[in-house]
Amino acid sequence: MKNYKKVITFSMAALLVMGMVSCGGDSGSGDSDSGSGGSNAASSTESAGGATGEIKEFTAFHAVPGTEIDSDNEVQQIIAEKIGAKCKDTWLVGQTAAEAMGVRIAGGDYTDFVTAGAALPQMVDAGTAVAIDEYWDDYPNIKNFYTEAQWNAIKGEWDHVYLMPQFGKRYMYDTGTIHNDEAFWIQTRVLKDQDYPKLETLDEYFDCIEKFIEKHPTMEDGTPNIGYSILCEDWRYFCLENAPFFLDGYPNDGCCIVDETTHKAIDYNTTPTAKKYFKKLNEEYKKGIIDPETFTMNYDTYISKLSTGRVCGMCDQHWDFNDGELAIKQEALNKAELKGCTYVPQGIVIEKGIKERYHSDAALDVSNGITITTSCKDIPGAMKFINDLLDPEIHTLRNWGVKDVDYLVGEDGLFYRTQEMRDNAAQESYRNHHLCPYGYFPLYGGMALDGINACNPDNQPKEFYDSLSEEVKECLAAYNAETYTQLLNPSGENAPWYPMWSYSNNLTSDTDNGLAWANMAEVKHAQLPKVCMADDFDKAWDEYMNVYNSTADVQCFLDSLNVEIQRRIDVAEGKK
Amino acid sequence: MFKDPDFLKKVKNQKVLILLSIPFVIYVLIFCYVPLFGWIMAFQKYKPKTGILHSEFVGLSNFKFLFTNANGMFINVIRNTVAMGLINLVLGTIFAIGFAILLSEFRFTTGKKVIQTISYLPHFLSMVIVTGIVYDVLRMENGMLNNFLTSIGAIDSNINWLAEPKYFWWICGFANLWKETGWNSIIYLAAITSINPDLYEAASIDGAGRLSRIWHITLPGLKPTIIILLIMNVGNVLNAGFEIQYMLGNGLVQEVSQTIDIYVLKYGIGKGNYSLGTAAGIFKSVVSIILIWASNFAAKRMGEESLY
Repeated sequence: MKNYKKVITFSMAALLVMGMVSCGGDSGSGDSDSGSGGSNAASSTESAGGATGEIKEFTAFHAVPGTEIDSDNEVQQIIAEKIGAKCKDTWLVGQTAAEAMGVRIAGGDYTDFVTAGAALPQMVDAGTAVAIDEYWDDYPNIKNFYTEAQWNAIKGEWDHVYLMPQFGKRYMYDTGTIHNDEAFWIQTRVLKDQDYPKLETLDEYFDCIEKFIEKHPTMEDGTPNIGYSILCEDWRYFCLENAPFFLDGYPNDGCCIVDETTHKAIDYNTTPTAKKYFKKLNEEYKKGIIDPETFTMNYDTYISKLSTGRVCGMCDQHWDFNDGELAIKQEALNKAELKGCTYVPQGIVIEKGIKERYHSDAALDVSNGITITTSCKDIPGAMKFINDLLDPEIHTLRNWGVKDVDYLVGEDGLFYRTQEMRDNAAQESYRNHHLCPYGYFPLYGGMALDGINACNPDNQPKEFYDSLSEEVKECLAAYNAETYTQLLNPSGENAPWYPMWSYSNNLTSDTDNGLAWANMAEVKHAQLPKVCMADDFDKAWDEYMNVYNSTADVQCFLDSLNVEIQRRIDVAEGKK
Repeated sequence: MFKDPDFLKKVKNQKVLILLSIPFVIYVLIFCYVPLFGWIMAFQKYKPKTGILHSEFVGLSNFKFLFTNANGMFINVIRNTVAMGLINLVLGTIFAIGFAILLSEFRFTTGKKVIQTISYLPHFLSMVIVTGIVYDVLRMENGMLNNFLTSIGAIDSNINWLAEPKYFWWICGFANLWKETGWNSIIYLAAITSINPDLYEAASIDGAGRLSRIWHITLPGLKPTIIILLIMNVGNVLNAGFEIQYMLGNGLVQEVSQTIDIYVLKYGIGKGNYSLGTAAGIFKSVVSIILIWASNFAAKRMGEESLY
């Protein structure tokens, strides 16, 4: 017994000593880190690649939902060793972007990098955003990322450039394989069951789902299939409310319809199409096609329901439900039934003959991007970090992974993957442990910098097609398509004012039009679910219109949009 | 105070006590009084860049705005806050007292301790977890409550509890009750143990049964504690909560679920209108102070213990 105690005492003491030593070592290297920060920054160009084990650690907060990768992530470590820096990304959890940023702005305490979204003007206003154009002369990858005209558009009314939009850059051309945006999505098994009908109108879409549900009320294990699901939690309620302008054949301006001849903003909430759309939802709700608890679901419940493969269709942005679809793909590896449960987009309109505009070319969204904050102690280091991430080699590591582990190179220089590699990439645990896309730092879309491959596997036409499941291939073939985008109309040219949501997203409630916009949202949040669930639709709709018009000054909001549309047209025509 | 001839003597005698209290006075000053300077924001059109010192003063317009915006939405918000606060106060007090009395009457000591421990454990759960549990219990699809009610034949089709405005306040009230009853009863249990046991003995010799002992000895013995706690809790009525309403709320019940705190977050912080948020916060504090003062005054009038 005594010996036993001694052993414990000794081992405890040994542990303690070890702990102290390792702590001491840590803080030592930490000191040398900050000490050499200045010199590293001064010799920024030569130290790329030549890191000597001193790895700078940055922090970033992106005001969008995301998954935190493991702290010992392998590719992150490889990149860190090559460029001498890494960044811990944190994401939005449980709050809205505006609230999360509002708290940070009020407190003045930020991470080194921030994707502030709509809250950036307030950050600039508070003087906490770093003007990157004062530093960028040493960082050509940043300076040359956008053209001068684009940088001017990003600058907008400000004197400096405070943000770097991550996603607006296409290298060479877009391969156009995936549709990452909004559409009415439907499972391939539903289409297959109906012999791949051509769906054009809202009635046909719901008709197709109804017939499927009638034939297959449950999944194999007996849980009931859900015909249609609507997410309406907080800001994600666009899944419920913004379909009317798509149904009328307009692109995603987000906050209004812009008449293409008069250049005037139209409120899509009160159009006859809106009424028809909600009436249809109301009918389907009563028929039980729409999930009865859909209006009380939070985002997690929505995604977890989707992940089971029970939900036949919904109207959503692909990036918004991608997590659910990835889960289906992962489960489908073990469960054959789920193979037909992934989604394809349908360009649904209200009446035959209207041309749908669901797919638009990615517009440079000048209101959204990454910003270096004044809380960052090493601004040149932060600039160098972004600059290095755009290096061709690093860019490939971010988007494709490690050569021979995550992809192979064919004789023609084309990257491809084996089925095992694809399955790996479909596993969340593998992605978190191994892959590190730094997805909210600037990156190239379209082609990779070698000009041979696409920027990432999803965009590589052959790799994209080969990685599709048999079910999806069959479905695409039935519609004479090889990619998701071919299921929709080709994107037309973006209008000069597109997208108007980059304006409305930035409004604050201390202006009249911003207040009107906030109040409109408030009313719609409360009233739209009621309209959909009402026993007497017409009565509920009239009441909604009453409250809507008496609570929010819609005209004031539309007037400000008209001014902004004209301003954007003027800018595009070089009048400004 | 300074007219007291023995003042210095008293200070000397209580030197240690005064020294001990200094850290807490400093704490209160720093965290409760210094931030009050921020109230100036409510009378300004505050911008983070210009700060409190240089923002433009706008008088009472933020307060005026609170009550006129969107058909008086804020009045609705106050109603919700007060209603849920009162439900919490009344249910919380009654259940905690009842539970404490039941526990104290429980003779089997081990069982008593087990029950007490289990009952106050939920207090340590974060509200996020509690709302998660409440959400799962109330769900339409495989929700515990719906399953139970169906199995005993009380309902024919599942009820969408979270979609009905009429249930929302009570759902929040009972969730709070589940979380806090055990914890709140601790202080009453302590008060019960301090009641002189002779009283119970004497009463039972005089032929009082259990119920009349509770009624004539335990409850009157608890009265001072109950009143002090009530006064303190009345001041908290407007802190009816934020997390549970924020996380369980949805568009359908928005009219009854928004509390002042949510309003501040949404319109103040979320929409970058900090002055408006501060104004709503001040309004809340002022009402709370009035409530405390009123209940204290009432307690004094009725010749009961009071806070000050």
